[in-house]
Amino acid sequence: MRKIAALYSGVSYQHRSWNEPKYKKFLSAILYVPELTESSFDEFDIIIVPSRLHTGLMERIKPWVRKFADNGGTVVLFWPQSSDSECVPLQNWENRPTNFWWWLDKDAKSGLELRLPEHNLFNYLTLEDATWHYHGVFWPPAGAEVLVTTEDNGAILYVDKVSSAGTWVVTSLDPEFHYGSYFMPATERFLDGFFPWLAEGEH
Amino acid sequence: MMQNKNILLLNSQSVGMGEVSVQHNFSELDMYDFPQANLDSKIALIIQGSVDQELMLKNKEKIRKFADSGKVIVFGGHLFLPWLPGASFFVPKEVRSHKDYDISIINSHPIFEGVDTYDMTYNKGVAGFFARGHHPIPEGAEVLLTLPDHEPIVYIDRVSTDGTLLVSSGNALLNYQDPNRTTGQITSRLVEWIHNEYAQLQKRSVVQ
Repeated sequence: MRKIAALYSGVSYQHRSWNEPKYKKFLSAILYVPELTESSFDEFDIIIVPSRLHTGLMERIKPWVRKFADNGGTVVLFWPQSSDSECVPLQNWENRPTNFWWWLDKDAKSGLELRLPEHNLFNYLTLEDATWHYHGVFWPPAGAEVLVTTEDNGAILYVDKVSSAGTWVVTSLDPEFHYGSYFMPATERFLDGFFPWLAEGEH
Repeated sequence: MMQNKNILLLNSQSVGMGEVSVQHNFSELDMYDFPQANLDSKIALIIQGSVDQELMLKNKEKIRKFADSGKVIVFGGHLFLPWLPGASFFVPKEVRSHKDYDISIINSHPIFEGVDTYDMTYNKGVAGFFARGHHPIPEGAEVLLTLPDHEPIVYIDRVSTDGTLLVSSGNALLNYQDPNRTTGQITSRLVEWIHNEYAQLQKRSVVQ
């Protein structure tokens, strides 16, 4: 099993998500972000950067996160909240108005589509498990594997092995926020599949 | 709008629940500057659900001292560390149906006057936007809102400190400003309540 560290900034929803026993068993460490140093990630294979991180904290750790990927590590990044804090190389973020209510429409359609159904991740979770609202899309670099998109091909979830020596798993979804805030059941199904894939799957 | 520079909003630089597009004229402070901040000129502190609770725990004494100087603290979120005087940890609600989220005004209070609680529980017919659990109350606290099994989701605590705490297991009540809903006045009434409460606390300390 790969060694995974989840970053944590003292916020209740991260606390719940990372400490839930069925997810915690996949984590080797929960790292408190304000106390991170340049070498904090050295011993891990994967780090998970939570969504909505305080923008100042994100700025501070950004070079270390990038260095970790450049040295061959895998970085998982949930919705980074703001285009100001471009953590991911070549992410090309585009803000989109969030439709929290798509599923109330008569012909409910989330607008999300599966691009690479043969990808190993989909042995662990389905498109429905990755379907709730999103806050924007990425236009990742050529060569990145785009797994889930909007109808106009904006990336919701992609895996980028071309921008660094390591792997960037980037998504505009924010499952740990919703699960940790006690709502939106799809987010639990997403995490139920995502953690085992991270720990043992092919990526 | 009233001038509210003497009310301090701790900014988490994060988009959390009920913290989206909040219009206000409070003073703002990045939460990580809180340890060094001089709070003498402030009458109230508003802390939201996306706050770093490890940081709050390290500054527990400063928070208590602030309340004990006859001031007001408003918190809305899910507590999991012991930094807020008198408060217990968040207890999530076991939800069997959307009705389990129905909010009741258990004691009438100016903040919620004229509010149809349906507008707090539901948004476009979907339940659970306000509270999905509660914080057990300290003895002597005044409960304002409850869930169906009497779980207190907003309470006022005038016993745990020499100041006043308003504790919500939902949001910090800052995002209720839509004039087309019965909830639209909650935020401005909260602010009015803060000013009145502070005035009462000051009067009390003069009498003593």
